[in-house]
Amino acid sequence: MRFTPTELTEEELDLQQQVRGFLLEELPPGSHEPCLGMAARKDKDFSLKMADRGWVGMALPKEWGGSDRTAVDRFIVVEEMLRWGAPVGHHWVADRQTGNVILKFGTQEQRERFLPAICRGELGFSIGMSEPDSGSDLASVSTKAEETTGGWIINGTKIWTSGAHENDWFVCLLRTSPMEDGNKHAGLSQLLIDLKSPGLEISPIPFLDGSHHFNEVTFNEVFVPETNVLGDPGMGWHQNTTEMAYERGGPDRWLSPFSTVEQLLREAKGTELEATVADLFGELVARWWGIRNLSLSVARLIDTGEAPSVESSLVKEMGTRFEQEVIEKLVHLIDLEYSPESESLFERLLAQCVVTFPGNTIRGGTIEILRSVASKGLKGLPA
Amino acid sequence: MSETFGVDSLITDTADRLFSQICDHESVQNAELNGEATEIWNAFAETGFPWISIDEKFGGSGGTLLDALEVLRLVGYHAAPIPAAETGVLGGWLLASSGQQLPEGVVTVLPSGSEDLLVTRNGDHLTLTGRGLRVPWARAAEIIVVPIQVEEQTFAATVDPDDCQITPMTNMAGEPRDTVDFNQVEAFAAPLPSDVNLQTFRFRGALSRTALMAGAIEKMSQLTVSYTNDRVQFGRPVAKFQAVQQHLVWGAQDAALARMAAETAGREANRGDGAFEIASAKLIANQAAARATKACHQAHGAMGMTQEYPLHHLSRRLWSWRKEYGGDAEWGSWLGRVAVSQGADGLYPLITGGSAALT
Repeated sequence: MRFTPTELTEEELDLQQQVRGFLLEELPPGSHEPCLGMAARKDKDFSLKMADRGWVGMALPKEWGGSDRTAVDRFIVVEEMLRWGAPVGHHWVADRQTGNVILKFGTQEQRERFLPAICRGELGFSIGMSEPDSGSDLASVSTKAEETTGGWIINGTKIWTSGAHENDWFVCLLRTSPMEDGNKHAGLSQLLIDLKSPGLEISPIPFLDGSHHFNEVTFNEVFVPETNVLGDPGMGWHQNTTEMAYERGGPDRWLSPFSTVEQLLREAKGTELEATVADLFGELVARWWGIRNLSLSVARLIDTGEAPSVESSLVKEMGTRFEQEVIEKLVHLIDLEYSPESESLFERLLAQCVVTFPGNTIRGGTIEILRSVASKGLKGLPA
Repeated sequence: MSETFGVDSLITDTADRLFSQICDHESVQNAELNGEATEIWNAFAETGFPWISIDEKFGGSGGTLLDALEVLRLVGYHAAPIPAAETGVLGGWLLASSGQQLPEGVVTVLPSGSEDLLVTRNGDHLTLTGRGLRVPWARAAEIIVVPIQVEEQTFAATVDPDDCQITPMTNMAGEPRDTVDFNQVEAFAAPLPSDVNLQTFRFRGALSRTALMAGAIEKMSQLTVSYTNDRVQFGRPVAKFQAVQQHLVWGAQDAALARMAAETAGREANRGDGAFEIASAKLIANQAAARATKACHQAHGAMGMTQEYPLHHLSRRLWSWRKEYGGDAEWGSWLGRVAVSQGADGLYPLITGGSAALT
């Protein structure tokens, strides 16, 4: 494990300025209710505008509609979007992981069909992992795909599926052959499923604040053509693990509270609160600076062709706990009774953070699972 | 040892090999008991390492600040009981910056500068009266350097330790932190250039401690991974238990965070400024030290609470260094003022741009 310090090149700093200029024009401060990180609003028009500039699927090859940019370039775009609280929800999953996985494991036909549309910002994807009896123990999934003429028939239930009611496609981890004794990782496959398929039913699982993100997706004899199997049948576990590596360690794991903190400073400026928040801000900028440097070095490592799974798990475990810590510090410091209906934007955002941030250390792999992944890769004293 | 950003790997490898040979558990323990580590210092001095980053014309060994900080990181990693920071990047830097030659032996510095002293000026000589506290290895020093501001000018004043009364004292790690009494002591004072002043000295001190701390946290994390993989309870290595894995992961994160912060701050300081990065790095190292010592001690159980096991050489140094050259409150408050003065729109550009965003 080694995080090597890195910094942005002139070209990369240019990109950063371009993204800042775009955001200032599209979403001037005060003109929009900032989103809290990756749980951002879906705004297809905004996604299309980003795609126009080549900022969706940007690390994908040009022949598939991407821009052949680096993981660091994508890091820059993503961090600016998230710290601005931009509505990146529509293309989020496709941009972060699905595009990569289709490029890596998909057939030529699947690449042609999906990648250019992802890069145009058109397609929204959901991820089908959890089931009523499978959460952290993901390999125990039991939703079945059985082979039939020309494809597969699916029966079972996926739950806590974010955005299934708004998205177009579903990348689903399914059991394509029965569980073998002692090797539960075998017999799993990933399928690309049209969320409008007959027999597929989507019903909301209201989030704790009443909002609609989660869904239950039930499959009742849903037919999926064989051309929609992603990669090799039976290799789903390996592919899924690869996919998770794209999911971890990026700015979405440490920037979620930023808009809230920034808004506090905006509202405290020139008031009695300004002196109170100063010491807290010292600690926050230092921690953000430090975590960002680690996260950026992971992106740089990806660009050298490595798969830094231990490093990215460490960053995600730390980053998501930091997000919660930030909110706890604000709650501790600010003597207000905030609510989602407060007049002040800061108070509204803080209320939203308090209620939704417990999920940050759960989504995409709980911190307990991350610790188990990361600790296996830790090195002791040199021999 | 893995390659370090911007540093000649020969320095890393040579220093690491040297300390591996001369700083074992027993020699570090003996240094604490005896209050000196002459053999370790002599072996270290023979390589020229103490004077890296100091220009050869002042008696230094040449090389960059980054090279010197890499040696300090390894001093921290091996808990080497020697005044490496004081002799080189602090005392040596003040001497060379004021055009003074370095002596052959140990140099130390009054960490608080002249703030506790009464200073009277007489041409290029100053007379010092008062007490300097927690002066590292004053008992072994050939020269005590006192950074002094008189009106607008900062001087590097040099004092012969024989002219002072030195009372041996230690920090929580048993490292020499002596009390030095100055009673009408004559000091030679050479003026420093404007970019070397009490404030930049404070930052430089923080940078030196950050490098030491990054090394110590990394070693502590590795020691803990090794111990918990060897130690068997309930029929398996305790590292297999999820509750213990939490400590291992937290220790490794803080090791990575502190080292990243220290190396990035070193890079910016080497370029000539880095105030934001140094302040952030010291605050990060302080907090990382607090969390990592807690996690690593917990994972070690009772063994870590004994003198016979080396964890305490690292943890007690970290608790001491956390408070040297600025604790959490000092740097938190400095950074907080900087952050708030940037305003809401400048907050993220500060996090991404650092000191460069301030100019």
